[in-house]
Amino acid sequence: MRRALFLSGLAAAILSSLCVLRAQAQAETRSVWDGVYTEEQAKRGETVYRKECAACHGDMLTGGESAPALTGGAFQANWNGLTLGDLFDRVRKTMPQSAPGRLTRQQDADVLAFMLSVNKFPTGKTELYRQSEMLKEIRFETKKPSAKN
Amino acid sequence: MFSRTVRKGSLQFGSLVVALGLVPAIASAQFHPKDTEWFSYAADVAGTRYRPLDQINASNFSDLEIAWRIKTDNFGDRPEYKLEGTPLMVNGVLYATAGSRRAMIALDPETGELFWIHGEHEGKRGGAAPRQLSGRGLAYWSDGKEERIFYVTPGFRLICLDSKTGMRVPSFGENGVVDLKLNDDQEIFPDLETGEIGIQSAPVVAKDTVIVGAAFREGMTPRSMRNNKGYVRGFDVHTGKRLWIFHTIPKKGEFGYDTWEKGSGEYTGNTGVWTQITVDEQLGLVYLPVESPTSDFYGGHRPGNNLFGETLVCVDLKTGERKWHFQLVHHPLWDMDISSAPVLADITVDGKPVKAVAQPTKQGFLYVFDRITGKPIWPMPERPVEVGNVPGEWYSRTQPIPTKPGAYSRNGVSIDDLIDFTPALRERGKEIASKYHLGPVFTPPTVSKLEGPLGTLTMGTASGGTNWPGGSYDPETHTVYVYACNSCIEPIGLVPAPKEVSDINYISGTAGRDVQILRGPGENAGADSPKLPKKRPPSQYVRLDIDGLPLVKPPYGTITAINLDKGEIVWQIAHGETPDVVRNSELLKGMNIPRTGQETYNIGTLVTKTLVIAGEGQVTTTADHPRGAMLRAYDKATGKEVGAVYMSAPQSGSPMTYMVHGKQYIVVAVSGGPYSGEYIAYTLPSAGE
Repeated sequence: MRRALFLSGLAAAILSSLCVLRAQAQAETRSVWDGVYTEEQAKRGETVYRKECAACHGDMLTGGESAPALTGGAFQANWNGLTLGDLFDRVRKTMPQSAPGRLTRQQDADVLAFMLSVNKFPTGKTELYRQSEMLKEIRFETKKPSAKN
Repeated sequence: MFSRTVRKGSLQFGSLVVALGLVPAIASAQFHPKDTEWFSYAADVAGTRYRPLDQINASNFSDLEIAWRIKTDNFGDRPEYKLEGTPLMVNGVLYATAGSRRAMIALDPETGELFWIHGEHEGKRGGAAPRQLSGRGLAYWSDGKEERIFYVTPGFRLICLDSKTGMRVPSFGENGVVDLKLNDDQEIFPDLETGEIGIQSAPVVAKDTVIVGAAFREGMTPRSMRNNKGYVRGFDVHTGKRLWIFHTIPKKGEFGYDTWEKGSGEYTGNTGVWTQITVDEQLGLVYLPVESPTSDFYGGHRPGNNLFGETLVCVDLKTGERKWHFQLVHHPLWDMDISSAPVLADITVDGKPVKAVAQPTKQGFLYVFDRITGKPIWPMPERPVEVGNVPGEWYSRTQPIPTKPGAYSRNGVSIDDLIDFTPALRERGKEIASKYHLGPVFTPPTVSKLEGPLGTLTMGTASGGTNWPGGSYDPETHTVYVYACNSCIEPIGLVPAPKEVSDINYISGTAGRDVQILRGPGENAGADSPKLPKKRPPSQYVRLDIDGLPLVKPPYGTITAINLDKGEIVWQIAHGETPDVVRNSELLKGMNIPRTGQETYNIGTLVTKTLVIAGEGQVTTTADHPRGAMLRAYDKATGKEVGAVYMSAPQSGSPMTYMVHGKQYIVVAVSGGPYSGEYIAYTLPSAGE
């Protein structure tokens, strides 16, 4: 009996691991082209952006003398191949520059959604995660995958 | 290892010093900088960024490997992603500013091992500073016995350190500190803690004088026509005593006061020297590159030519007395701050030796003068320029235009400058440009209107041409090498400033869009932020790109070699890999696009015996390298690329070089995007490897 329990436990553990692996495999295929934020979230993010970010990064994210653009070729090249978790961490740790970490995770995620919308990545039905560990599952790719054209 | 806290008046500052190793003792009885050392921000106080070293050359540049690297994350309470410093290497020690606290660090130049670190805790005063983060560098002084390090904190205090220990020198100022907000011939408004004035560039030491300028927040959308003024001062390196001051906005009774009509010199501010200052120690002359007055794009509250705004001023090293001046831009309206170190050059013109000074600029002109008399080497006649119609504005009807050398980067926008990969793209470019007023250099700003123009489309203004990294100069061939952004477009539109935002009639903005007060790096975004007006109906936002492609045609960024004996461009190349957004564009599929260079405005060059060296300012991902940027070397005679080495992030501070124990090193600051600040030292593999 004990042995059967052990075996069934083992099987459940293996199954569960497989499920996790499969979930990870699915997650690894996600990118900013897969509709990872909602239009509503981007709108909320725009409100936060105007109040907290625009003074340095510009009205339409084009940057200023002392703050980089958050849209355009140079910005996208900077983050290409990394993840939204990396970008989220950068914002969490260093922005707004006068008081890093002052915004909530939700506000930062909303701003990130707004940035994605300005950079013309498609909207979807679910909002962005609010944790960097989970956002690390979404790749930042500047080029639209050809299979999804 | 120890720390200490110093109380002074009502302000409390703390300094932390951690000494970790032995700094080599000075070798000679008298200080004579060597060719193998880099002893001032721009290699020397002449602004050359030149060292006659040749171990690293065309045959081996691509073999360079990393000797050491140091992240600056922990030299402050948060990582910094905008590391702009150029270290010094003198007498076997490398010194640098680093991290979000602008700490001073001393390193072993061969291994990167940390000798000591010095940090100043400035509390609210540091937090409210207009120019924060690690700054661009420091200054070194020695009389052959003592060695001292000078730097300015974000909170605008001049600090003097013993270079061996990193400890403040108690006999300098008050316990090693001169409070630069005091003894400045003005009351810093509103108070010492929050009063807007600071600096991010390195002080310069010449003979026994340390010279410091001043900087402010960005000047496009000021809250008031009144601001603190950016005077320049010289201090005794021994005692910290103020030796002289130069009023960049003349006081009543001083020369130039009448160029501020209606008494506007009394309340107008800024007009500082925020970039590097150059000195001719033999002649005892100091060259001050002065920035714009308040405000950058609207001068209706300061009628007149506004001396010494955007003027190259030569003053006496001992007294600060003005010797000569030349105003590059009368009544500044384009944010054409003189943005980099003047370059001293001993040249030969028409067979005669001339001691010259050459000034690179945002507007892409290299202005060259006799540095003793201030007389232009080649004529700079006053030419008529367009007069605008912004209500209340005062216009200069002429501006000086150098006849030689010709402009080395674009300084206006015409249809011919627009994207031209295909006729269809040119048409799309024209459609965007049609919403703006176009014209050559010195085309004035317009009021932004929904029906058009939205503003004046400019290049060679705020972030165009050559910015703070400046140029390099090769004294052997009398050649200036200078990077320029050739595609940094600035739409300059003006909108009436809401009373609750500013008392200035017009500030930078776009019709129909909310007025945004632009802030400098790290500027306090808290209690002092003005209330913004209620949102108005948005206008159609105009993107100045075409599906990511730059609106103007390549080259986007260039390095130019200019021979100063002849005043002629010798070569010009596109600097930087073609950006991913262009190389991978679906719109350009199948086309063979030559290297375009990159749209960045903060690239500094280094010149050695045979090479011009500069890194890229943008990240690319290519078949040849993973996401990163390249440090490139060019044959200085021809501009031909002779080697490149990978950097993990873009160049954000200008490269420098030195030689220790028979090995040459190149150090460059990199940072940006996801990559926090790091100094990387490159050298050649040891023999036999």
